[in-house]
Amino acid sequence: MFKRKSAFVAILLVLVLILGSLTGCGAKQTSNDNKQPAAQDKPYYDGKTITLIVPNSPGKGMDTYARMIVPYIQKYSGAKDIVVKNLTGAGGLVGTNTLWSSKPDGLTIAFTSIPSLMLAQMSGSDGVTFDATKFTYIGRASTEPRILTVGGKSSINSAEDLTKLGRNFKFPTQGTDEDFFTMATLAKSLGFKLKAITGYEGNADTAMAVVKGEGDGHITAIMDAKTMIKEGDKKAILVVGMERSKEYPDVPNALEVIKDENGKQMMQGIVNMLEMHRSFFGPANMDENATKALREAVWKALNDPELIQKAEKAGTPITPMKGEEVQQKVAKVVEASQHLRPVLKEAVQSTK
Amino acid sequence: MLEASLSGLAALFTGQAMIFMSLGVAFGLLIGFLPGLGGVVAMALLLPFTFGLEPAAALAMLLGAHVATIFGSSISGILFNVPGAAKSVSICFDGYPMTQKGEGARALGAAAMASFLGGIFGAIALTISLPFMRAIMMSLGPPEYFMMALWGLTIIAIFSDGSVLKGIIAAGLGLLIAFIGMDPVTGTPRYTFGSLFLLDGIDFSVAVIGLFAISQMIKLYVKGGSIVEREINMGHSTVWDGVKDVFKHWRLVLSSSVLGLFIGALPGVGASIGGVAAYGQAVQTSKNPEKFGTGAVEGVIAPEATNAANEGGGLIPTLGFGVPGGESMTILLSAFVTMGIQPGKELITNNLHLVFTMVWIIVIANLLTTGFGIFTAKKFAKLTTLPGTVLIPVILAVCFVGAYSVKGRIGDVVVAAVFGVIGYLLEKYDYSRADMVIGMVLGLMLERYMHISLTLHGKLFFVTRPVTLVMLIFVLITLAYPFIRKWRLSRNGGAV
Repeated sequence: MFKRKSAFVAILLVLVLILGSLTGCGAKQTSNDNKQPAAQDKPYYDGKTITLIVPNSPGKGMDTYARMIVPYIQKYSGAKDIVVKNLTGAGGLVGTNTLWSSKPDGLTIAFTSIPSLMLAQMSGSDGVTFDATKFTYIGRASTEPRILTVGGKSSINSAEDLTKLGRNFKFPTQGTDEDFFTMATLAKSLGFKLKAITGYEGNADTAMAVVKGEGDGHITAIMDAKTMIKEGDKKAILVVGMERSKEYPDVPNALEVIKDENGKQMMQGIVNMLEMHRSFFGPANMDENATKALREAVWKALNDPELIQKAEKAGTPITPMKGEEVQQKVAKVVEASQHLRPVLKEAVQSTK
Repeated sequence: MLEASLSGLAALFTGQAMIFMSLGVAFGLLIGFLPGLGGVVAMALLLPFTFGLEPAAALAMLLGAHVATIFGSSISGILFNVPGAAKSVSICFDGYPMTQKGEGARALGAAAMASFLGGIFGAIALTISLPFMRAIMMSLGPPEYFMMALWGLTIIAIFSDGSVLKGIIAAGLGLLIAFIGMDPVTGTPRYTFGSLFLLDGIDFSVAVIGLFAISQMIKLYVKGGSIVEREINMGHSTVWDGVKDVFKHWRLVLSSSVLGLFIGALPGVGASIGGVAAYGQAVQTSKNPEKFGTGAVEGVIAPEATNAANEGGGLIPTLGFGVPGGESMTILLSAFVTMGIQPGKELITNNLHLVFTMVWIIVIANLLTTGFGIFTAKKFAKLTTLPGTVLIPVILAVCFVGAYSVKGRIGDVVVAAVFGVIGYLLEKYDYSRADMVIGMVLGLMLERYMHISLTLHGKLFFVTRPVTLVMLIFVLITLAYPFIRKWRLSRNGGAV
């Protein structure tokens, strides 16, 4: 009898502990209000604390970028502190949803992969509560062109071979990420049949599948494919970006080879989206003074020679773009999205 | 080759490299000891500090830390049933029962020595297999991975001591939990009830903290006293017994190391599976399989050797293809970029000494952790005689912080607590937690690779591919073996 009772007490204690920690943390988050009106001569961010939401895991690529750049934004904005908060979950949706519903006072901003968000929204993913076209874009930190590669022993040697394949192009993928949607759009606009093989665990897993010849090919960052291309384990077929890549000047750009006008427009939409890649952004209708001050500070930070040198050394180069320009690109993406939407939805459907 | 090996070793004998390796090892032991945090976290935290270091020193710190986390997490697993990292969960299956019997020091000694030998075998095998590992990797695909997972499931039979039905129920519960979240094939949410938190699934390491550590603390509280009563004579087993055990079971160490090497080399086969597979392999090759789960030293040796050999294995695809062999290897690859090292054939032909530097780092880091383990095991083991009133609050706090730190989500603390209660009830009513863990580890892997195999090779993939067919026959034999043996024993018994 006594034993059963103490088991109950133990379980109860554990639950109380959790509840305590839950409420303790819940109370903290809303204490960031800074009611002081911005004085005319003082910079907007003087003495304020900015919260930067990174919807990705700490220590991984996106987080590394954010933490590398943050001290420089702090330097140029005059903010007292910038707190990086990793709000992971649901492929970045949790953090982005949080930003969408936070106060547009410029004190809460985010940094992540924009194309992932836009594609999640356009393809009708569950759990999206935001409208990615309405965010206030503050500036792009970096982007790198993507590349379509096939296995070293594959019979495919050029974009033309893709259309002449006479069977489905087997495409191993880890799920519906941006490379998946890029591939689907490319297949649609070039006019070749695609068979997505979903279920792979990650990029390493799909890369091995392509090298082994289990799958025909896939799209990755150029950096991730470099070694395998050099070793002859993979062949580069197409670059997906604004122009050809400096490293592979002989590999054509996808936009060059697409003949169909409609297809070209769709691909341009995807390329525009990929261009925005790693960007800072704030909630919709962010405070005007804040937007102006922050865009300026981020632009200065991204052009700081010390940061550029540091980034180059770490293998995470900076390719800055002004916030205004990013915002204009978003408008273009919206234009193209009419054509893209059905393609993306069809692609998702094909995996079910 | 010998020359490259020597120059690789020489690169490590600089003050800088040695200091940073020791720092890395100390840090790794600590991170490993804490529940929820493993090698990936240790490397990610150390990565920024390697900028600007010599390649040898930077690699020494990173790899050293990674190697040390394995033994670090075994310490907490053996002594408190708190697996320090997801992949050392199987060390708890027998390590903790040993501690309860008063053989904590022996278990620690065995773990340290097995880790040392496993690491060294891994390093040697890495060196030997570099030329032809490529061919093996190229010939194994999703159908073979599927068979490996299937073979893993047969281990359930072993733990279902007494009631096969209870074992299957526990494993089924594990499978069910594995299926919470986004389905890996179609991206459809399952059992999420519209919650974004559940969309990511139940994190394995968080669940394990609850199932083993928190449930144990509940049990200790109910029972009162301490994990090991002071009356039990701690002196009857020593660290050296454990060390000797490892040499007695050298065949097991060897086979476990080879297994670890393979699992490390295959991207897509997670390290958590390594420990479970090694454990199953130990049981199946043992003469007294019924002893497992009650404190058999082989149950500690096998997973530890496998985990240690995993390191060398993970380096093979990382160095050979530029394809990370695991999550931690992704971090190593990004360290390569900052050092200007380009993986691939060029590394092996022109920079072979660097490869050997890494091999030597694994060896020396293992030596350091083993030394630490052997000389401190006795002191650590004494911790288990602390009264529950002191131990429970400390361990619970560490567990909750650990659960939180896995992904930085407060919801995970709730998950850990819920699993603590589940674990307590499972143990109380004799359902095997090990079976549940196996179900959780293998659920998604089975699903993933069955689906890929079906799309790639058609419905009869398990008979059309020779390697797969051989593996299938092997699975069937291991499944039938206990029954055949029982039948033969009873027939012989009848004759006498």
